[in-house]
Amino acid sequence: MRAFMCMLLVVAVALSGCTGAAKVDTIKIGWFGPQTGDTALWGQAEFNTVQMIVDEYNAKGGLKVGSKTYKLDVVGYDDKGDSTEAVNVAKRLTSQDKVVAIVGAQGSGEAIPVAPIMNEAKIPLVASTATNPKVTVTESGAVNAYMFRACFTDPYQGAVAATYAYNKLGKRKAAIFMTVDDAYSAGLSEFFKKSFTKLGGKIVAEVSFTAGEKDFRAPLTKIKASNPDVIFSPNYYTDVSLSAKQARELGITSVMLGGDGWPSENLISLAGTALEGCFFVNHLDFSDPSVADFKNAYKAKFKKNAELNSYMVRDALAMVIDAIQRAGTIDSVAIMKALETTDIQGITGHIKIGPTHDPVGKDAAIIKIVGTEMVFQEKIQAQP
Amino acid sequence: MAQFLQQLVNGLSIGSIYALMAVGYSLVYSIMNFSNFAHGSVIMLGAYLGYYSMTLLGLPFWLAFIAAALGTALIAVVLERLAYKPLRDRKATFLYFIITAMGASIFIDNFVIATIGPTPKMFPAVFAQGPILFGKIALGRIDLAMFVISAICLAALIIFIDYTKMGKAIQATSFNMKASTLMGINTNMVIFIVFAIGGALAGIAGVLYGMKYQVFPQIGGITLKSFIAAVFGGLGSLPGALLGALVLGLVETLVSGYLSTQYRDLIAFLILITMLIVRPSGIMGKNAEDKA
Repeated sequence: MRAFMCMLLVVAVALSGCTGAAKVDTIKIGWFGPQTGDTALWGQAEFNTVQMIVDEYNAKGGLKVGSKTYKLDVVGYDDKGDSTEAVNVAKRLTSQDKVVAIVGAQGSGEAIPVAPIMNEAKIPLVASTATNPKVTVTESGAVNAYMFRACFTDPYQGAVAATYAYNKLGKRKAAIFMTVDDAYSAGLSEFFKKSFTKLGGKIVAEVSFTAGEKDFRAPLTKIKASNPDVIFSPNYYTDVSLSAKQARELGITSVMLGGDGWPSENLISLAGTALEGCFFVNHLDFSDPSVADFKNAYKAKFKKNAELNSYMVRDALAMVIDAIQRAGTIDSVAIMKALETTDIQGITGHIKIGPTHDPVGKDAAIIKIVGTEMVFQEKIQAQP
Repeated sequence: MAQFLQQLVNGLSIGSIYALMAVGYSLVYSIMNFSNFAHGSVIMLGAYLGYYSMTLLGLPFWLAFIAAALGTALIAVVLERLAYKPLRDRKATFLYFIITAMGASIFIDNFVIATIGPTPKMFPAVFAQGPILFGKIALGRIDLAMFVISAICLAALIIFIDYTKMGKAIQATSFNMKASTLMGINTNMVIFIVFAIGGALAGIAGVLYGMKYQVFPQIGGITLKSFIAAVFGGLGSLPGALLGALVLGLVETLVSGYLSTQYRDLIAFLILITMLIVRPSGIMGKNAEDKA
């Protein structure tokens, strides 16, 4: 009799647990990125964006999935732009907060070590601006099942930069100036070098610095001695602006070319006139009419211009929401399956996910710095 | 050859920043016998004080210097009263001082991140853009200003220590604090003055650093290098700190310039360790104990 009572109790507890779970009508979406440190500006811009979009959905009554309507909720953590911290917060999001999907992971340095955690937890992650190929495809060539991204990849970006420098700017002698302990910078350099030499150009100097460095004159003096006609600087805007100023102080006049680490509200205010006439590859053109609505909404809400990361995470979140709706359930595995067949029009371009979980054939924009303005030049595609 | 000379100029200019910071370390160490790791945070506060004096108050740059130096002198003295005096009164061992200094440093850095924010700030342009050219060698205007300002500060300090009564009292206290107290020297006053001078030098170093690079909450991190310079030159010795800083700046630049940036810290620290093994008192150090 006592045993029977016990069993009854167990069943009752189990049942109440079930009904408790069924009552949940919130979809938790995770976000992580740097809210402190060098790249904090972009992390803050991303988190603002995710919250803004989630608020918009909730104000309209929530998200309809199948026959049910859910409220959206975002759980965000600061990874300080640090890979160890990123692993910690990803574990917390997947095991403690039980989110259905994660967006963010803006830096490749943070997104790559997080991949095994997502695969194990079977929860998909859509990276906003992590462009290194290893984010979605492992060293051995296997696709990370739960990793996706909204941006193009480094081989593509490197090829675009090399093609533009060689074909459009007519440059033949390039120097590479990179952050040696950063996967993004090292990766982009490698692919630029590959494409540029394949086109027939010559790499005259390859110099590097370590992250956190503030004095670049020793490596820059090396570049000066190699006399290049273009300097490829695939670094983040704080390093780009400071190194450009020091380069000009050393009397280096070559045009500089960079990647998507450049675009930032602060780039020109930090660099002064040091980057006049330089170019960078971007994911979109900020004056494109298709981004205008979002840009204005962001500015109205936060009294600040949207950063590149705002646009990118907006599309990453759009991919997740689209996948949830097509899956018709909030099961993470089903969402992952739906993400594999993503084919949506984002504000940063057409996003069609290919077999490697990367968008295929996305246009890149070339932007020129003129005075205090970032002026759109043209959209180009390249063969990586 | 031009490249080599340019690297020498680069190295000396980095060395002169390390020097201003290292002297502050050494001064406090010579009296208190512990490394004031909060020195880096005071330098960072100096950079912010200078920045806001120029942007918010619109002060000319020499006034901003004085404002920052006075501000950080005050901060350093307050820090000593709040954090170190209670320990001194309890005759705590030097380990507690070091831990307290680290705690203060972490507190100040995070206070700035939380209130002002992590985004780097740029000093308004003080000097004309573009370098002064000597043939193929470019010398930055700010670097030249740094050489001059550092030299003036260090010369003034050496004159003060060697030729004034208070300077003599500082020397006596650094030699033996107990005996100095017995001889009627107000050692509390000496400590007060030493922290004020160390703080003022930190403020000047901070403004110079901020003008040359950027103003951001992690500036204090660079003082690890100036600490190495101070140990290298001989902790507690002012000329030693100066020499150690210039040597370190040159070694770093030449290694990055001719080998690779990856080897820079490797070789800098290798030299430090070798120095500690072969000559623990540093180039000009006064005693060989407690290099902490």
